[in-house]
Amino acid sequence: MAPGPEQLTHIVDFLRRERRDLSLDDVMVLAERMAATLDETVARVDTLLHDEFRAIVGEIAALRREIGGLRTDHMRFERIPEAGLELDAVVEATETATVAIMEAAEEIMSADATDPDAYKALVDDKMIVIFEACSFQDITGQRIRKVVRTLSWIEERLGRLTHTLKIESSEGHETETEEERRRRELILHGPQMKGAGVSQDFVDDVFNTSNQDDIDKLFG
Amino acid sequence: MALDLSMPVLVVDDYKTMIRIIRNLLKQLGFDDVDEASDGTEALGKMKERRYGLVISDWNMEPMTGYELLKHVRADSSLTKTPFIMVTAESKTENVIAAKKAGVNNYIVKPFNAQTLKGKIEAVFSD
Repeated sequence: MAPGPEQLTHIVDFLRRERRDLSLDDVMVLAERMAATLDETVARVDTLLHDEFRAIVGEIAALRREIGGLRTDHMRFERIPEAGLELDAVVEATETATVAIMEAAEEIMSADATDPDAYKALVDDKMIVIFEACSFQDITGQRIRKVVRTLSWIEERLGRLTHTLKIESSEGHETETEEERRRRELILHGPQMKGAGVSQDFVDDVFNTSNQDDIDKLFG
Repeated sequence: MALDLSMPVLVVDDYKTMIRIIRNLLKQLGFDDVDEASDGTEALGKMKERRYGLVISDWNMEPMTGYELLKHVRADSSLTKTPFIMVTAESKTENVIAAKKAGVNNYIVKPFNAQTLKGKIEAVFSD
């Protein structure tokens, strides 16, 4: 059996300490044995590398499957544009309905009420217009549910991909964009969900309080 | 400062429907002279051409927001005393405080009703 790397090291150290003269044959034997040891080491490393490469190939294959599952073309060219069109349609429908309702209300407000019968007939007509306009809510509700389904579809696939990539949510801090900076500096949050923003009563408390110390007390 | 129903009022909002709603509510309250602007820049231009008795402004508009408009108005000696009411969906505490510090006279959170608008206008002119 060929000596291992540690044994060879001992032999070389021993020869150095003893300063014995070595023949060419001694050196050749030693070189052959060292080469044999290296072969075994390379063989072991080769197996490790092979296993690592197999694992990497496996990960890449899994990643390809996940990216394929994202169906990015379907997402980019169909689902997201469709969701955008649905939201545009919601905006248009609500605007159309609002205008119809406001026009009906304005006509009622400016109507001549000196003739009660004519006035009642006008009000009845305009009320029907208002009821008809309110039917937008059914359609917009359905459109918004379609958009929510698309968002859930995207969320599910991105969730699977980040799981496969083992990406932590805290990774990849993005730098603030110009638009984000503007929104931060101009305190633009947009509408809040019910219960998340302050109430008109709270605002009134702030404005009914002239002393800054009292205002500070409102915020604890 | 007394409330004068004949004074010109400037309504600033980038949403035409909201301008129409406020205009109608103001009409119901007796205000007939109502101008409109779709953002702070346009409003500031109009304010330099005409002296308004009251400005009712949204916050979130482009390119100039209502908050920026308010700061411009308070920084301009010829406009600084113009009563200014913010009507906005921006309902975070920091918005209310920032507006108050910038010198807004009152603040209405959207959605609002006619009674709230009336009450705030009266409050501004009773101070």
